[in-house]
Amino acid sequence: MEAVQDYEALKASLLEAANEHGEPHWLADRRTAAVDAMVDLPLPEVRRFDYHRWPLTPIDPLQWQRSDKALAAGIEFDDTHIQFVQIGQTTVAVNLPDELDEAGVILTDIFSAFREHPRLTEKHFMDKIINAGEDRLTAHHVAFLNSGLFLYVPKNVVIDKPIEAYFVQDSTRKSPMVSHVLIIAEEGAEFSFTQHLTTAGDESNAASCVAEILARPNSHVRFSSLDELGEQTTAYLNRRARIGKNATIDWAVGVLNGGNTVADFDSDLQGEGSHADAKVITVTTGKQKNGINTRVTNRGKHSVGHILQRGVLLEKSELVFNGIGDIIHGASGANAEQENRVLMLSDKAHGDANPILLIDENDVVAGHAASVGQIDQNQMYYLMSRGIDKAKAQRLVIRGFLGAVLSAVPSKTVRQELTDVIERKLEDGQKFK
Amino acid sequence: MATLEVKDLHVEVEDEEQQTKREILKGVNLTMNTGEIHAIMGPNGTGKSTLSQTIMGQPAYHVTQGDILLNGESILEMPVDERARKGLFLAMQYPAEIQGVTNAEFLRAAINARRPDDDQISVMAFLKELDKNLALLDMNESMTERYLNEGFSGGEKKRNEILQLLMIKPAFALLDEIDSGLDIDALQVVSKGVNSMRGENFGSLIITHYQRLLNYIVPDVVHVMMGGKIVKSGGAELAQKLESEGYAGLRDELGLDVALVDEN
Repeated sequence: MEAVQDYEALKASLLEAANEHGEPHWLADRRTAAVDAMVDLPLPEVRRFDYHRWPLTPIDPLQWQRSDKALAAGIEFDDTHIQFVQIGQTTVAVNLPDELDEAGVILTDIFSAFREHPRLTEKHFMDKIINAGEDRLTAHHVAFLNSGLFLYVPKNVVIDKPIEAYFVQDSTRKSPMVSHVLIIAEEGAEFSFTQHLTTAGDESNAASCVAEILARPNSHVRFSSLDELGEQTTAYLNRRARIGKNATIDWAVGVLNGGNTVADFDSDLQGEGSHADAKVITVTTGKQKNGINTRVTNRGKHSVGHILQRGVLLEKSELVFNGIGDIIHGASGANAEQENRVLMLSDKAHGDANPILLIDENDVVAGHAASVGQIDQNQMYYLMSRGIDKAKAQRLVIRGFLGAVLSAVPSKTVRQELTDVIERKLEDGQKFK
Repeated sequence: MATLEVKDLHVEVEDEEQQTKREILKGVNLTMNTGEIHAIMGPNGTGKSTLSQTIMGQPAYHVTQGDILLNGESILEMPVDERARKGLFLAMQYPAEIQGVTNAEFLRAAINARRPDDDQISVMAFLKELDKNLALLDMNESMTERYLNEGFSGGEKKRNEILQLLMIKPAFALLDEIDSGLDIDALQVVSKGVNSMRGENFGSLIITHYQRLLNYIVPDVVHVMMGGKIVKSGGAELAQKLESEGYAGLRDELGLDVALVDEN
């Protein structure tokens, strides 16, 4: 009975916080419903990966806090770029060119969007793309949501420049980051979006970062991420796109966090002829554990989903890559291909690459490849025979291993940023050798 | 002047599948100075490549006796990269392919590995040197932006080995069968590259089956290896003699008890 009372108290405090924040009633109601749901919901399954003891669902009261703008020191502000910068719960920059504003493009923080664009947000937020009631982590996300962004691109609007979104987790104090990105691409819209996640401060905190993308028919969305959350952050990442007829989504995801991470990257191929291409890179160091599900669900006829994953493990880290290809009955002519490869640089690391194919339709093309390997000693010998030291030679061989994914990242800028971040992370990981 | 000395070198290789060890080099002695080109000839399976790989430091080859000295200093305990920075270079029979790393980036990394952090080669100086050597080897500029050896033909790989030699400028180059798989035009180009390095600061040890290469790169000293040892040394004329009489002839002349792999 005591537990129930606690939850009643928690719901009351969430309602109060939502009121204080001026949130619409529907959102406040969803928060409390999510608390009720949380109690019984299980954690999402990541096969062969155990994370049930991780502190991913703190239930401290929701607090509204301002963060110091100085924590954005590492970000290059450039008013010729389309940028969105948020530190903790504080939005410090939104830079959207006038012509896009006039064309109806919306780029704003998520709570302003809930107030100002209820028609667009109420219907799509944590409902059909990702449902709040799917598991304990989705429910927790809705209950404790405290930051995020909303992007709306109207019909047939094509944006040439990438939209750069920076989220800095404020870990100068004890407070979870519960950040939501909601993106709606209307019919025929076309754009690139890059999400940068970083951490300022050394407090141990949870991060719950969810991104939902609705790609309407004939739209084309390129979503890139550079996930660089700190060592003291326990992270839950969930990104999912619901993809309409003849729409395309290209993912280029770099999971390069310093701490433990559980992640779910999903492409829901709803429409006929819809298309998803998911590229995921991760590097794990120290005693870090990463469990990553990358899933493509083919529902539409002639839908095409490709998964390409590469992971590098150093020191005593652990990485589980699950590639999930789910072809639903009726998705005739569907195509699902996946390749998951893991490279071990240390015999104390633990790596796993599991292809999981769930096929309930006869007329399909599906294939998979997976491997867990060591660094190629012939390549090392060759590079070192030219005078290149062992650490640098390793980094070059790893670059070669990641090359298949890196070279397919469409934006040259993102590719370079990814390469730089990987290089940094590898250098850090190698120091302990 | 730099010196490379091989003293009473005995080398074993491990066969991982069969868990056995086999002695391949059985007491090799060799001294060479910069300014000299040496050739090592010998029948198949006699340890020529083992010698070059052991000098470079390939981890699969274990020295059980003897020593290798570079300018009087033993290099046996040095890792491969350190040997390279001390002035050794091995043009390999089977160069590795590395995706994601361009030829140009690799060359710069190799050059800079020899230079202090505060004196790395400038982009301009690098490109100038690169263009010069590409022209010398009749190589297309696009080769430099391709990934290292990836999808290169056999001939392209050999040229690329020589390009590295010209860019890195080692004191001693070990050339392991750079003539295999080359047509006559490519052979001439590769030879031209090596000959351009000749001078008092460069020495080379050329490993080959055939005398043909030595028509283009004329050696100062020719060594014949059989049964894991150098059995005879001489001038360029020794290679000519071998070409006409074969290895079996020399073996019988010296009264050696060595089985030749390809002997009928």
